[in-house]
Amino acid sequence: MSTVDTAARAGQLTAEQVQAGEALPELRIPITATLIVTGAIATRDFQKVHHDKDVAQAAGTPNVFMNILTTNALVNRYVGEWAGPAARVGRINIRLGATNFPGDEMVFTGTVDSVDGENVVVKVVGTNSLGPHVTGTVDIVIPSKGESA
Amino acid sequence: MSQDPNVLIGEMIAAGNERISVARDEVNRPMIHHLCDAMEETNPIYLDPEAARAAGHPDVVAPPSALQVWNMINPSDPEIESDVDRAYAHLAECGYPKVVAVNCDQEYDRYLVPGDLLTASEKVESFVGPKQTGLGEGYFITTLTTYTDQQGDRVGTMRFRTLWYNPEKRNS
Repeated sequence: MSTVDTAARAGQLTAEQVQAGEALPELRIPITATLIVTGAIATRDFQKVHHDKDVAQAAGTPNVFMNILTTNALVNRYVGEWAGPAARVGRINIRLGATNFPGDEMVFTGTVDSVDGENVVVKVVGTNSLGPHVTGTVDIVIPSKGESA
Repeated sequence: MSQDPNVLIGEMIAAGNERISVARDEVNRPMIHHLCDAMEETNPIYLDPEAARAAGHPDVVAPPSALQVWNMINPSDPEIESDVDRAYAHLAECGYPKVVAVNCDQEYDRYLVPGDLLTASEKVESFVGPKQTGLGEGYFITTLTTYTDQQGDRVGTMRFRTLWYNPEKRNS
């Protein structure tokens, strides 16, 4: 298992550079009230448990918590930063687990599950202090060398 | 309460009635900016038309994971009764009042650009239970939402699975 050069974050991976079994660089995301609230509103999710602590506590949770659309967006960001701007995401399939509350940190790790030409499947896990928040696979097309500019 | 939710929800799946909603706004740059700002997303295909064109897109694109965003219910909209809502209400009536989201599976046919106007069609797709889970006895229900553009072409789908459970019916 080798970690892909983080230079790929600034540039573009090509399909030839990607090998099954390799690890993506880790991404640590501080879970703040700001991320939870702005994420919920930017995704047009106005459910009060995502922005009003009193309502969240009345519903039996210790604080506001991250909505699923923000989780999806962060998975998208994590894989996209690794793959580069020419890559195209075809599918994000996630399983939800431990809730993201303010004050925590979510650490993304990923592994290339398979490579078939330009079609790459990445396994992703985002773990917080309570356990895995999100576990999933992302299907992504990464252009081969001949195609990328 | 010992009503079997398989009966009514089975009928809903067979009928396949969809809740259809047209997005209030087209896919647009200000909302793409809000999304990127909130997520600290810096991929230039979302922000810079030239970078987007260099990557083969006609214009800046929306993050694909935002597929669901454009048709989110407006807080001031009147409640629309749909089979999905009725199925959820029925599960609560049958004694499974607690809910937790389990899976979200989005597939994208193409990236969305400003000007795209989406229609979402949502229905109950599948249903399993009763199952013993760590949270208690419950039922898994999956909805399928199909998103189409202003030409009527499909741009993506979302399968969303929730578990409706009764914490008092728990194996110790």
